[in-house]
Amino acid sequence: MIADKDIGIRAVQEFLGDDALPDRISSGSNNEHYVLLEEPEFEMAVSHLAANKFVLISLFCCEGFFKNAAHTLFYVFERRTSILVLVRGVNGRATSIASIYPSASWFERECRDGFGVEFEGAFDTRRLFLHETYPDGFHPLKKAFRNAPIVTKETVDPVDEYPFREVSGEGVYQVPVGPVHAGIIEPGHFRFSVIGETIFNLEVRMFYKHRGIEKLAEGKSPRDCIRIAEAVSGDESVANATAFCMAVEHISQIQVPERAWYLRTILLELERICSHLGDQAGMLVDVAFPLGANQFSVLREECFRESDRLTSSRFLREMICIGGLSRDVSRTQLDELTSFVHQMRKRYKIGLKIVLSTASVIDRFAPTGVIRHALLRPLNITGPAARASGGKVDVRLNHPYGIYDQFVPKPQRLRDGDVLSRFTIKASEIIDSLDLIERLIATIPEGDVRSDAPIRDGYTLALIESARGQNLCWVWIKDGAIERYKVRTASFGNWLAIEHAVQGNIVPDFPVINKSLNLSYAGTDL
Amino acid sequence: MNFDFVLYLVINTLVVIAISPLFVSLIKKVKAGTQGRQGPSVFQTYFTLIKLLKKEVIYSPNSSRIMRVTPLVTMAAILVAALFVPLVFVPEPIGGIGNIILFLYLLALARFFMALAGLDAGSSFGGMGSSREMSISAIIEPTTIIVFAALAFVFKTLNIFDMFALTAATGSPATPTLILIGISLFIILIVETSRIPVDNPETHLELTMIHEGMILEQSGRNFALMELSAAVKMTVLMALLINLIVPLGLTTSLTFAGILIAVIVFMVKGSILAGIIGLFESSMAKKRFFQLPSLFAMAFFFSTLVIIIEVFS
Repeated sequence: MIADKDIGIRAVQEFLGDDALPDRISSGSNNEHYVLLEEPEFEMAVSHLAANKFVLISLFCCEGFFKNAAHTLFYVFERRTSILVLVRGVNGRATSIASIYPSASWFERECRDGFGVEFEGAFDTRRLFLHETYPDGFHPLKKAFRNAPIVTKETVDPVDEYPFREVSGEGVYQVPVGPVHAGIIEPGHFRFSVIGETIFNLEVRMFYKHRGIEKLAEGKSPRDCIRIAEAVSGDESVANATAFCMAVEHISQIQVPERAWYLRTILLELERICSHLGDQAGMLVDVAFPLGANQFSVLREECFRESDRLTSSRFLREMICIGGLSRDVSRTQLDELTSFVHQMRKRYKIGLKIVLSTASVIDRFAPTGVIRHALLRPLNITGPAARASGGKVDVRLNHPYGIYDQFVPKPQRLRDGDVLSRFTIKASEIIDSLDLIERLIATIPEGDVRSDAPIRDGYTLALIESARGQNLCWVWIKDGAIERYKVRTASFGNWLAIEHAVQGNIVPDFPVINKSLNLSYAGTDL
Repeated sequence: MNFDFVLYLVINTLVVIAISPLFVSLIKKVKAGTQGRQGPSVFQTYFTLIKLLKKEVIYSPNSSRIMRVTPLVTMAAILVAALFVPLVFVPEPIGGIGNIILFLYLLALARFFMALAGLDAGSSFGGMGSSREMSISAIIEPTTIIVFAALAFVFKTLNIFDMFALTAATGSPATPTLILIGISLFIILIVETSRIPVDNPETHLELTMIHEGMILEQSGRNFALMELSAAVKMTVLMALLINLIVPLGLTTSLTFAGILIAVIVFMVKGSILAGIIGLFESSMAKKRFFQLPSLFAMAFFFSTLVIIIEVFS
């Protein structure tokens, strides 16, 4: 029986042969394995991994990693607890793997926009994050581009306009929605092809608020970069900052004090509770049940206020730093948090009972917006959305970081994959997080919350479970500064899930399906 | 046309316009209360209407004359319909006024123009709203006819004035058949005024809108007229329900004191009904669009029952 960690290595052995192994494979500092592949063997290797149920969790590009190749592509695969990174040096052209891994399509288009790498054989070569108004040949992530404002096109030739998938037939009509919406929400365009009220097809178009986060991080010192990591997505600040710090700590082999990990875990779980409460309130607003929605909104607001008391920031900002935490939390504050958690659990359960005993709510939630289990792997759907569809995906369980190996969250799993399952999964996760926080406070050790150690050069990958699912970041430090910072939030994968989840549902059910997946626009568009 | 009737026309129109925004606010207030919120002031709808009346009207370049006349046609149709339902004072009916079938089709006329205006501006949400409104009205119309037929069976008349005069004269609590019709009328009230579980008047989600979708492109004083006509329509339907079931306070003779008391009593009764609507709305989520007929079927069932009882008793 091979340990789960070695599944990746065994798979590589199978397609490379034993002899090639030692000089081709290298271990990263965070238990990931890098395998350098030549062009001819690449496609075969990917097919082999696909056959062995590996999931493509990220694909990103990097300049100047190898001397003899202009671009280096990193294909990150995951299966259970093992992480395998296929490394491929290319010069502006590469073969596409989108037909094997559909999730690669967005990644490849992202690399094309950022670096100008053309993927041959891709089924979709439209622009992704650079919309039509950006000039041709503009690729902001190239090292040659100095970060400065650029002149965008005033008008777009109708020929160059973004071509949406055409769905035609008798009675099919198009409903364009967004990017400007009636409520105060982020911009996104939804193109529905509808027959009567039934959704036949949906295509989402995101990336209306590109901020250039990855470019901004380049050249910054790792300590300055934390603020950037926190800004990737507002309500995932702690998760993204912790992932970034974990990567830097692994590279520099900094030992984080135990107390710091306890506090970090409390903050991570607090963030998860806030996010899930917001989703649940939103889902109830979208089926027009404000009585239930308001209870959760009130609890969420109280969570924010508690966060503010604890860290002087409603979104728990500026607490996480490299080596631990920027400041300690006093015993009185922790005691206060314990009683808050206690109260919170009581009130939450009352609210939950009211909602789940209202027949009209259940009637709207089930069986709306089903995500089939078969879609999880090809699209890399993670987080509560995947767990509600029978997926065993939770970074805290599969790749335990910090102290999650001692404080194991309860594995959550439902099979129906509809809005109701996502609602109930989130409910159990909130209760579980509250329990976890209580247990953490009860056993928290005394001691320092930060260890100051020099930051070294190197690169590594870090995975973290944010409220929305698996977030990933890859950090490369060169000469003490960030050379490349790649973030992939859970929403990047989960956005494609909604296109499948809404099919066959009616248009008025779209908002609740959308809310149940709680996708971040900012986290997708860096 | 005698002097009494002219006075009735003036009083009824003024009262209905003055009171309607209050009931809209009251429902909001009750709903806010159930959610543990303070909610806006009960005069908020008046302030909003005054604000809207001062604002300029913006027309989409795609829109035609329909968009320009719809607010006026809607308001006019609803105000005429309002004359058919005496709020506080029941005079002798004159001509066709008070005919229940005509009343129904005046409401249908307003709805028809609203749906046209929804399509007229060329926005996809207006079109969706209109299409949904028309689907719903196609299903609810037979039900409404049956409910009104049941009313006619109970009172042996097609005139609302005569019905009210009868209930006001007896002044007694409603008969069992009237209570059954009351349930049907309540459902029709909910459907016609686009409330939960049929539609959500407070939503910001364009994709789920029905009534709000149709008036999404309206602005300024036109929007004020649309809002006011919706409020008046609600009050008229509420009055129909109230004055049939609890005729208390309704006067048939024209005296100043009598009218004053009747107005106050009507406001109290209306406020109670507004509270009931608010609680009803808070108790459930919106139904899935294609499951709405099950709600209408309930109204249909109760009224059919009444007709059967009336025919065989």
